[in-house]
Amino acid sequence: MTRTLVPEDQPAPPEASQELERRAADARSRRGLWIASAPAAYLVLLFALPLLIVFVYSFATRGTTGQTILADWNITAYARLFNPLVREIVLRSVGYAAVTTVISLVVSYPFAYYIATRPARMRNVLLVLVMIPFWSNFLVRTYAWRVLLSSSGPVSQLTQLLGMGQTRLLFTTTAVVLGLVYGYMPFMILPLYAAIERIDLGLVEAARDLYASGARAFWRVTWPLSRPGVVAGSILVFIPSLGAYVTPEILGGSKTTMLGSYIVRQFLSARDWPFGSALSFVVTALMLIATLVYFRTGGRTL
Amino acid sequence: MAVCVSSTCDRDWNDQPALRKQIRPAMSATAVDLSDVSKRFDDVNAVDHVDLAIRDGEFFSLLGPSGCGKTTTLRMIAGLEFPTEGRISIFGDEMGLRPPNMRPVNTVFQSYALFPHMTVSDNVAFGLQMRRLDRREIRRRVGDALELVQLTGRERRRPNQLSGGQQQRVALARALVNEPKVLLLDEPLGALDLKLRQAMQLELKDLQTRVGITFVYVTHDQEEALTMSDRIGVMDAGRLLQVGVPEEIYERPTSPMVAEFIGDTNLLPATVKADGQIELVGGQIVGADITASPGAEIMVTLRPERLHIVDADGSFPDGHNAIDGTVARRVYLGNAVTYGILAGNVTLRVRVRNAPGQRQFDVGRRVQVHWAGDAAVLVERG
Repeated sequence: MTRTLVPEDQPAPPEASQELERRAADARSRRGLWIASAPAAYLVLLFALPLLIVFVYSFATRGTTGQTILADWNITAYARLFNPLVREIVLRSVGYAAVTTVISLVVSYPFAYYIATRPARMRNVLLVLVMIPFWSNFLVRTYAWRVLLSSSGPVSQLTQLLGMGQTRLLFTTTAVVLGLVYGYMPFMILPLYAAIERIDLGLVEAARDLYASGARAFWRVTWPLSRPGVVAGSILVFIPSLGAYVTPEILGGSKTTMLGSYIVRQFLSARDWPFGSALSFVVTALMLIATLVYFRTGGRTL
Repeated sequence: MAVCVSSTCDRDWNDQPALRKQIRPAMSATAVDLSDVSKRFDDVNAVDHVDLAIRDGEFFSLLGPSGCGKTTTLRMIAGLEFPTEGRISIFGDEMGLRPPNMRPVNTVFQSYALFPHMTVSDNVAFGLQMRRLDRREIRRRVGDALELVQLTGRERRRPNQLSGGQQQRVALARALVNEPKVLLLDEPLGALDLKLRQAMQLELKDLQTRVGITFVYVTHDQEEALTMSDRIGVMDAGRLLQVGVPEEIYERPTSPMVAEFIGDTNLLPATVKADGQIELVGGQIVGADITASPGAEIMVTLRPERLHIVDADGSFPDGHNAIDGTVARRVYLGNAVTYGILAGNVTLRVRVRNAPGQRQFDVGRRVQVHWAGDAAVLVERG
């Protein structure tokens, strides 16, 4: 038996075919340009332009009666962002959003893993179940929590039955975080599912074959490969949680004020549009930065 | 059980231990022992009462069509599936429900299953890291393994930056670096193109000889199995039909399925007559010395390359069997020509080498097909 050497690597495709592929891709992207014009117009008119207006207003002056004077441009509004009350609210909002994100991740991961490892038909059924809450109004669902958590509600009744006394959940941090987790968990489950579903389970088998216990196979293979889903889900939960308005308004109290409510208050009751604008702009900018970070850490693959 | 059709019946491998030894040195220790192993998935018998002893140091192939249970058998040895019934032992150690990470085997997976988020060297180091070997020891062994598969210099690449052949060799290194007692290979060459596959076949065989590890190789490619194996087990529909050295499997198939699956063959239903002659279903009488009992319904298998064609009035060696027929089909294959010869109500495929001076025949021509008595093998009707 003569020993044949393994042939060298396959040659790269010839220049000509690469050129052809590049041109085809260019043509495709040109075609994409006009398809994108409608969403582009939508984004400019309803997002970029209003944001610009908000940005301009943030440098305006508040008149003595609360009217906004588009003159005497200044940065007082931005300076006020550093006062202790704002800092407290920002820290609280970031804290709530972070806790919400972590809880959602911990609860959603096994759930998403379970869905992703079911047979295809079962998977679709489960995914629809995840999305069913979206069919009813968010406000209505949040009010439902108010009933559930009130001191005469079923949760409290249960604790009383078990001899643990009445629970005071409503208008507490717990209620707000619970509401946020409830509201945004689907945004965690779906990208996690998408990421886990794409992982070749053969890789886990390979890890097991290479002496990894079930737990080590998970941490060395499944977890790192599902990271795009973890990042995407975390961003999708963190950002709306940070800017949440309805949930803390309905389930929270005066000690759980979050950024969203605080900004609304500047526009409606305090009638301080420049300050409200500055807050809005900074929050939006922060979210934008967070999103960019997400795109840079592999979220693109989603 | 196979029976010979002619007087040159003395080449039965089973009765010739000396001959067998000459082909392959005797190996005593059993590496993998499957005892009455079955695997059911719901109501499907994926593996059906398989008994098999794979010897230490041999290159053993499990061969069969897709869905025959060969991969399931391999996965049960690896511990990725557990038998519904029966026992699996590796070097006398019963595996039971032991998980894959507690077994002295490693697997080269069909699609390689390389970790896409790790470099080549991290992939190869994985098993050693899991066993918590010393860092320097790991580095040394990874280097050695990559050298063994000629991938030195690619350590920092990601699997998707490698060609198919290179990925295949990373998978091989990743398994071999652990120095398993048994290496399991699940169609590892299936994704490669023909040229590379043929080169890798010889490479693999060569590698196996060098490292001296028992290889259990799953494939549906009979040529691959014949090329590399010390012994082959042919599976179909969950059953292990025949186990033997390549020559035995090819030349002495014990069932129509094995005859048909390994190489090309003409399978002709026949009956054994009272006078010991064999009557093909078409009525042709094939004279032969046989040991099969008269009246038995059997199949005659004739390899196309063992058949010869001469003109209708041509001569052929004494002792050859012959059938008259007409050339119905002629297919040019480059190195050979295959003919379909219509003889009575059967069509015989005949393969004639395309060599200088070799007579070829036109379609429609009256010819005789003849073969040496030992070319015909009788198998029980499946």
